Amino acid sequence: MSTAIETRALSKRYRRVSALTECTITVPEGRLSALIGPNGAGKTTLLRLLAGMASPTDGTAAILGDAPRQDPAFLAEVGYLAQEIPLYRRFTAEDHIQIGAHMNPRWDAAFVRTRLAELRIPLDQRVGTLSGGQRAQVALTLTLAKRPRLLLLDEPVAALDPLARRNFLATLTSAVADAEGGLTVVLSSHLVTDLERVCDHLILLAASRVQLCGDIDTIMAEHKVLIGPRKDTAPIERTHTVVQTVTTARQSSLLVRLGGPVIDPAYQVEDVSFEELVLAYMGADDAAAVRHLTTVGED
Amino acid sequence: MSWVTWRQYRLQGTIAAAVLAAFAAVILVDGIEIAAHWHTLLVACAGSSACLQREPRPTLVNGVVSDLPYISLIVPAVLGMLWGAPLVANELETRTSDFAWAQSVTRARWLTAKAGWLLLAAAVCGGVISALTTWWSGPNNALQASAFQPGQFDTQGIVPIGYAVFAMALGIAAGTIARRTLPGIAVALGGFIGLRVVISDLLRPHYMPAVTTYYRLTSSFAPSGQAWVFSQGAVSKSGQVVAAGWGNVYSVLPATCQKLFNNVAPPSKSGNLAPLMSCMQANGWRGFVTYQPASRYWPFQGIETGIYLLLAAALIAVTFRIVRKRDA
Amino acid sequence: MNWLVWRQYRTQGALALALLAAFTAVALWQGFQVASQWHSMVATCAGNSQCLRPGDLIRGVANGVPYLTLIVPVVLGALWGAPLVASELESRTSDFAWSQSVTRVRWLAVKAGWLLLAAAACGGVVAALVTWWSGPENAQLANAFISPQFDTQGIVPIGYAVFAMALGIAAGAVVRRTLPAIAVVFAGFIGLRYVIDGFIRPHLMAAVTTYFNVTGNFSPPGAAWVLNQGAVSPTGQAVSEVYGFWLYATLPASCQKLVPGGAPTKGASSSLNALYSCMQANGWREFVTYQPASRYWPFQGIETGIYLLLAAALIAVTFAIVRRRDA
Repeated sequence: MSTAIETRALSKRYRRVSALTECTITVPEGRLSALIGPNGAGKTTLLRLLAGMASPTDGTAAILGDAPRQDPAFLAEVGYLAQEIPLYRRFTAEDHIQIGAHMNPRWDAAFVRTRLAELRIPLDQRVGTLSGGQRAQVALTLTLAKRPRLLLLDEPVAALDPLARRNFLATLTSAVADAEGGLTVVLSSHLVTDLERVCDHLILLAASRVQLCGDIDTIMAEHKVLIGPRKDTAPIERTHTVVQTVTTARQSSLLVRLGGPVIDPAYQVEDVSFEELVLAYMGADDAAAVRHLTTVGED
Repeated sequence: MSWVTWRQYRLQGTIAAAVLAAFAAVILVDGIEIAAHWHTLLVACAGSSACLQREPRPTLVNGVVSDLPYISLIVPAVLGMLWGAPLVANELETRTSDFAWAQSVTRARWLTAKAGWLLLAAAVCGGVISALTTWWSGPNNALQASAFQPGQFDTQGIVPIGYAVFAMALGIAAGTIARRTLPGIAVALGGFIGLRVVISDLLRPHYMPAVTTYYRLTSSFAPSGQAWVFSQGAVSKSGQVVAAGWGNVYSVLPATCQKLFNNVAPPSKSGNLAPLMSCMQANGWRGFVTYQPASRYWPFQGIETGIYLLLAAALIAVTFRIVRKRDA
Repeated sequence: MNWLVWRQYRTQGALALALLAAFTAVALWQGFQVASQWHSMVATCAGNSQCLRPGDLIRGVANGVPYLTLIVPVVLGALWGAPLVASELESRTSDFAWSQSVTRVRWLAVKAGWLLLAAAACGGVVAALVTWWSGPENAQLANAFISPQFDTQGIVPIGYAVFAMALGIAAGAVVRRTLPAIAVVFAGFIGLRYVIDGFIRPHLMAAVTTYFNVTGNFSPPGAAWVLNQGAVSPTGQAVSEVYGFWLYATLPASCQKLVPGGAPTKGASSSLNALYSCMQANGWREFVTYQPASRYWPFQGIETGIYLLLAAALIAVTFAIVRRRDA
């Protein structure tokens, strides 16, 4: 199975601040990957590094088997949509279609026109005068029209209403399914329920580091909640990794990453929801976040 | 609000102050040298104006530094473009107007404070440069009687203050109307240059009706002091006017006078124009000079400054109206 | 890619073309008037060179037009060059442009290429018009080699325009913000022109100094560029004027007596001849330091070359920055 993205210790420092620290991830081809993390965790930085918009201060990245480089064939394979919806405000949607047609070898102009017609977004109106949501739709559609093999989307649905969000994610999933492994998507968002429904791979960043990276199914299978009496957790910690501890007067529940079977009968083992899992990792403080990572679910 | 303005413009203000200081340093050093030369001249000539009026006049001003005052002609335009045009336009483009105009300060007050400080800064810049240039040009003006000439007139006295304030107002207005910085800059630059050319060349000669003096060709006449001469030459009995310059004169002279022409050598060495002049006079020609007398220098300065300040006021009024009424 | 450039600049291009057309119309109209005046003057004077004394060939407003064209390069560089990279970065449309299938290098090459070409074309057209229009004045006053005639005619305006455009593009790429880049264009262009004009141009080739008799006469033929002239004493002390105030103090007493006290009126009095003979008898000579008229085109070429080289360096820097730097 080939990898769409493979990074080793990818880092980006700006003078005194480290925006991304030793990021090592793998995203196999054909995945729809969720990039989750609190504000300032490094999601945008990671996406910009992968898109070639910025260069790392350390580490390496391989995109579709090659290091990112300035080459028309390579650029044609990667699609990137930035958070700020970068469009030329004084140009119409039709102008942007023309620009794309002139600047890309593969360009599905008909797709853009059809889709914008469905969304009832006028093609001949200056993009700067459209609403925020409409601009987002235009930008997304233009990025898809490029027919890339890897799509990097930075909070693309943030400005969309709930119906439009669902609509867009449906388009995305069917595009991935139709491509039968030929299209990989990395999608960052705060809307965890959406991502759970749609994505099959997870990259979780917190405090500029990768906390989790792997197929969602595998991750979910590896995490359980252990509910039991308040007592010393040292034995548990010898085999498993405790991600989060919640204690009440009488009991404690431990969110653990299993390192083996749970033998202690005092604990009740329960599944964890995706959202709880994500929140638990996102909430981990800096000290706990500095952990040695392994990628989950790698072949 | 004053603090806000300062905070937004402190970097530019610092840079402008530094450039102004550099300009002042160069002008001061050179001007002191010129003044020393001039005093030597005055002492040696001991008040004899004939001594000072010798042809060719002594040189006081050296080539390289003397270009600086001309370069300073563009300073008002640059201020207006780089500070004035973005005032409103930049806020609208970056949508920081949504922030600024949602505070507890009315738009009128906001504009008053920002535009007020910028116009004041423009006036100060214009004034400082003008003061330096006027002082530096003093000896040269006295020697060459040139203060009223185009070029000198524009860079000395009080008109540079008028230009600077006008250019700033034009920049602010252009940016406000265009709502975008770059077109505002283009309009400010083009409008400033265009208006300066029109007013300097077409309007200024007519602020007051020019004076024409006729005199006998065998004697001479030059307007006293630092007058502004528009044209001079000879006029025939029949009223035919010929501007100074022998090429023009030659063809309209009677043959008797034309014969005398070949004796005239370039004026820098010996040569005698007297016979030619007598001949022309005998044929009814008179000399004339059309000019604005030196006494009108300050009235003209005042009128021109007034024109520019009035235009600036009109532009600022337009800007206020737009900022208050229009959608953000 | 070319289509994108066209689409982004078509309004401004039309505007610039309109301005250029207006300027051309005015220059042609004025120029023909001046030319016909000149021709009738030449015909009337029938080869008598004394007749062709400077007259008012060019009046008033038109006089200032060549000075205005000095500003054309700066405007090009500030309004088109500076925003090229800076505006895209400021508005983040670089995220769009640079994530298409065109490399940054190609993007910059096409955009900068067209802008530099447009600058050269503008500079060339304006220079051609001013050169043609100044023909009679140049012939009459022999001033083609002097500033600002030298700066506004020939081929140097092309060099200035290309340089200013390159300066704008580079400033925009380095500073990444349009307004400061515009300021850099103004300051950098005016500053560099001032320095090269005043300090470097006179020395592009070693000037020629000719000595001659005070009683005689010499002026460099054609449109030469006189850098300095005056009288030099037997001891080698040079004074930059002939018969003027500063000279008086250095003359021997016997000659000082001969200096006329009053101002010459219409033409110099013949007593100056006595003064000149006295000076010559005392070993004085006159001198003129100048660049001969024959060096006009070499100087034009060298100066244009300097500016084009600087432009190339700036463009190279721009490419390096755009390729390497984070978007």
